[in-house]
Amino acid sequence: MSGTWQVAATFAPELVVLASALLVFLLDVVGVRRLEVVGGVGVAGSALAFVLVLADLGLAPLAALRTIGAGAIDVAPAAGSSPLYFVSSFGLVFQALFLSASFLVGLASLSRDSREPGAPIFFGLLSLATLGMLLVAVASDLIFLLLAIEVTSISTYLLVGYTRRGIRPLEAAMKFYVIGAVSSTLAFFGASLIFGAYGTTNLFRIAAVAGSVGYPVLALLGYGFLIAGLAFKTTLVPFHAWAVDVYDGAPTDVSAFLAGGSKKVGVFAFFLVFLGPVLFVHPGAPGNPFGGSPFAIGPIVQIALAVFAVLTMTVGNVLALLQKEMKRLLAYSSISQAGYMLLGITVGTAPALAGATFQVLAHVLMKGGAFLVVAGVAGLGVGPLVDDWRGLGTRRPLTGAAFALMLLSLAGVPLTVGFVSKFVLFSSAVEAQGYFVWLAVAGLLNSALSVFYYARILKTMYFEPSDPDGAPAAPVATLRLPAGGLGYGRAAAIAIAAVAIVLLGVYPQPILGPIQAAASSFHALGA
Amino acid sequence: MLPLISIVLATLTIGTAATFLAGKASRWVALATSAAFLGEVALMFLDYTGWPGYAGSPLVPGFAEQESHAWIHLPWLQVNYTVGVDGISLVLILLTAILQIATVVYSWAESRRPAAYFGLVLLTCLGSFGVFVALDVLLFFLFWEAVLIPMFFLIGLWGGPRRRYAALKFFVYTHVASIVMLVGLLATVFYSGATSLDFAAVDASARTLSRVDQAFLFLALFFGFGVKFPIVPFHTWLPDAHVEAPTGGSVLLAGLLLKLGGYGLIRWAVEVLPSGFAEDRSLLFVIAFVSIVWGSVVSLAQRDLKRLIAFSSINHMGIVLLAIALNSSLGLLAAVLMMFAHGIVSALLFMSAGTVHHTFGTRDLAGLGGITPTAPALATMIMAGALASLGLPALIGFPAEFTALLATWYGLGYWVFVPLGILVVTAAFYLWMMQRMLFGPARGVPAAAHDVPWYEGAGMGLLVVLTVLFGILPGLLVNVITSSPVHGFPGP
Repeated sequence: MSGTWQVAATFAPELVVLASALLVFLLDVVGVRRLEVVGGVGVAGSALAFVLVLADLGLAPLAALRTIGAGAIDVAPAAGSSPLYFVSSFGLVFQALFLSASFLVGLASLSRDSREPGAPIFFGLLSLATLGMLLVAVASDLIFLLLAIEVTSISTYLLVGYTRRGIRPLEAAMKFYVIGAVSSTLAFFGASLIFGAYGTTNLFRIAAVAGSVGYPVLALLGYGFLIAGLAFKTTLVPFHAWAVDVYDGAPTDVSAFLAGGSKKVGVFAFFLVFLGPVLFVHPGAPGNPFGGSPFAIGPIVQIALAVFAVLTMTVGNVLALLQKEMKRLLAYSSISQAGYMLLGITVGTAPALAGATFQVLAHVLMKGGAFLVVAGVAGLGVGPLVDDWRGLGTRRPLTGAAFALMLLSLAGVPLTVGFVSKFVLFSSAVEAQGYFVWLAVAGLLNSALSVFYYARILKTMYFEPSDPDGAPAAPVATLRLPAGGLGYGRAAAIAIAAVAIVLLGVYPQPILGPIQAAASSFHALGA
Repeated sequence: MLPLISIVLATLTIGTAATFLAGKASRWVALATSAAFLGEVALMFLDYTGWPGYAGSPLVPGFAEQESHAWIHLPWLQVNYTVGVDGISLVLILLTAILQIATVVYSWAESRRPAAYFGLVLLTCLGSFGVFVALDVLLFFLFWEAVLIPMFFLIGLWGGPRRRYAALKFFVYTHVASIVMLVGLLATVFYSGATSLDFAAVDASARTLSRVDQAFLFLALFFGFGVKFPIVPFHTWLPDAHVEAPTGGSVLLAGLLLKLGGYGLIRWAVEVLPSGFAEDRSLLFVIAFVSIVWGSVVSLAQRDLKRLIAFSSINHMGIVLLAIALNSSLGLLAAVLMMFAHGIVSALLFMSAGTVHHTFGTRDLAGLGGITPTAPALATMIMAGALASLGLPALIGFPAEFTALLATWYGLGYWVFVPLGILVVTAAFYLWMMQRMLFGPARGVPAAAHDVPWYEGAGMGLLVVLTVLFGILPGLLVNVITSSPVHGFPGP
């Protein structure tokens, strides 16, 4: 294969997603705006890309579709070269996660009101945002990484406000845009300082140069800004305040994508910048009080991340306790879950990396799924308050059961994927010894705390009668959809998420094993 | 060799799922599942004891029916699906099977969403069975938590007027305790450097921990298991949950869920951390005595029949704790016997209370009297339950309480007079209560009241028969229990 073709093959999933986005916009231009058509193109694009990624990951039955040779993955670039991208199996795992989030949201959105204008915009932007996420997962250069994040960000700003109905989505979009722009500025400024310090923005080169010149003040400042910028994207406390308003104001399907999908871009960026190639240059350097700790500038960054992690978990959970609106509650719970993921980054060992990744997967299924359910029952006339969900569990047993399952998984109840992910994550923190044990304890206490508000929703859904005042149980829905009013697409997406939550909760090994293998090879890059 | 435990788990899982989906036929599915469960447990018993010549012959040492399959692999930790039974768990599994079928039969006429009701009953028993057979920390915790959720719904959906409060309180108390218990178990695993969560591996490596470490870890585990017991002062969820729960829920709560605490303490705390147990024994004694006295004194002051039985459960479980704390093989025998006896008897009593409630419309002891002429069968069964509870010979309560008192005498000498004295007071109170409620002039008996319906009678009748059977032949259980000595427990 010639060079161009090789590049094209490497980027096959990205190209498929890009093509589906362009096709959607093209269909819009030529006047085909039927929801089934444009939605079908978008969903098919992410499904096909998902299959391609799985093939590249080495899934045996898909070997024929493989576009990157097995030997071309997880290979660190030659010393002295500074490629913009490189493909790691860990990046592919994240691509698969991103695509599954995009697929689930797209599938559910096939059930939206077909008379509603803007379907082409929605699916086109969804594909574009996914494209940015896929690129993040192959980045090996700070600028490439930040630009890819920008592709996602700009698409999602538009997604939040695209309906142009009502003031709240617009307010949310504006807020999202302003905050996003500020955080991007911070991150780019950080990258420029790092460039000033090391003369390169390539992560592998930075690792090599830092190995010889150490960490000048300029670089530390740069990392500080970079952390702040990425912390906004990942909704870490105290950079979280925007997330609740945005998730609340956005169309709920978009919230599902933001919480379940695009937020994880920041998580992966953290992995890449702190656990991938860069900061592993002096593991166990003399004078490092943490011995084999992975960070060369370790203790400070590590403690900063640990503080972020504990703060994020705790603040997210405590504020979630106080919420009366379902979407805001889920948004705060989403913030606290970001804290768990950061915990894995803080610990920084390969097992912790795998644990955090599994947590990301769990979060895609349970939080993405939960938002999809919220969007679905909103179409049935259920209001925004938690109290509006009274009696839903008995009125709509299947939908209620799926939502209950997602909440139980978020709370970390056994037999759900949420339990396995927390178990792997927390036990990896304990395994790392040192003060990480206390991080695990903080995580456990937090998940005990989170049970309160999830149980409160369950109580409302199942134990409280639906109409205390004799008001109609469910106001007349705006339109009648099949599959219990949810529509086939949404019902299928919710069912997929619910089944996956249970299957992976009962027997996680088939997915957990590959994630662990990918995480260790990624971790080994920096060693 | 059949993988009996997996077969039982599969039976219960499929049966539970089928029950949920069966609609109107759900009670039949539930009954069939329960019967199959009981049959399989009987098979397990025969297998374990090598019937018929098992009495006196040496039984299988260690765990029988073991199965182990890899489940989750972490680079530093093996998590396996490991299950097995010994004499202690086998007796409690028998209790599970008995209570499941009794509850299903007793609740035969449940009309409010029967499929969900029977499904949740079966799910509770499935979880309890899992707790008794699990020999892996994570598997154990999984089943432990799996019991919590169906019980939460049973209380919250079918319960009395304050059911929401009771359900939430139950959930929060026991869930927090579970978390502490899990932290304790995992801390034990990680500090001792075990590389597998299997019981055998954890057991072996935890013993290498220092006494001080063990003492702290034991405290965490004791708290986790103790809330389920429940021990004073973490017992307040119990009366609320019991009073509000539907009868079937109360039966499983008292009969099974409290036993999970006792079993967990023996298997995962006392056995795994013997030095920690030895260090903390004095605390266990204090809490046991307080629970015995407090549970019984408070129960004397109750007017609500269910509340009374709930508090007397605290008293009985206090005796279980005392027997465990004695650290002797006789004490262990007493604890397990006591758990089995209390499981049967408290189930019987709660069923009686339930029947009294919907036959006479009240559970208020002060407003009810002389029900025997109206409901002779019900009165007989209440009598059997009360007499077994106060330890009348030839009923199951007697061998259990006698063994417990004997073990206490061997272990603590004159302290035995505390439980003994309480026992006498309680017995007198029970007799007085029986006399008021069952005999004498009729008070608060509605004209339309009738005797116990056949299904409730059948459920309670089964338990009465077993109360007598095991009361006369406690040896059926004793030999099985004593075949499984807990590590380090000396003789009487």
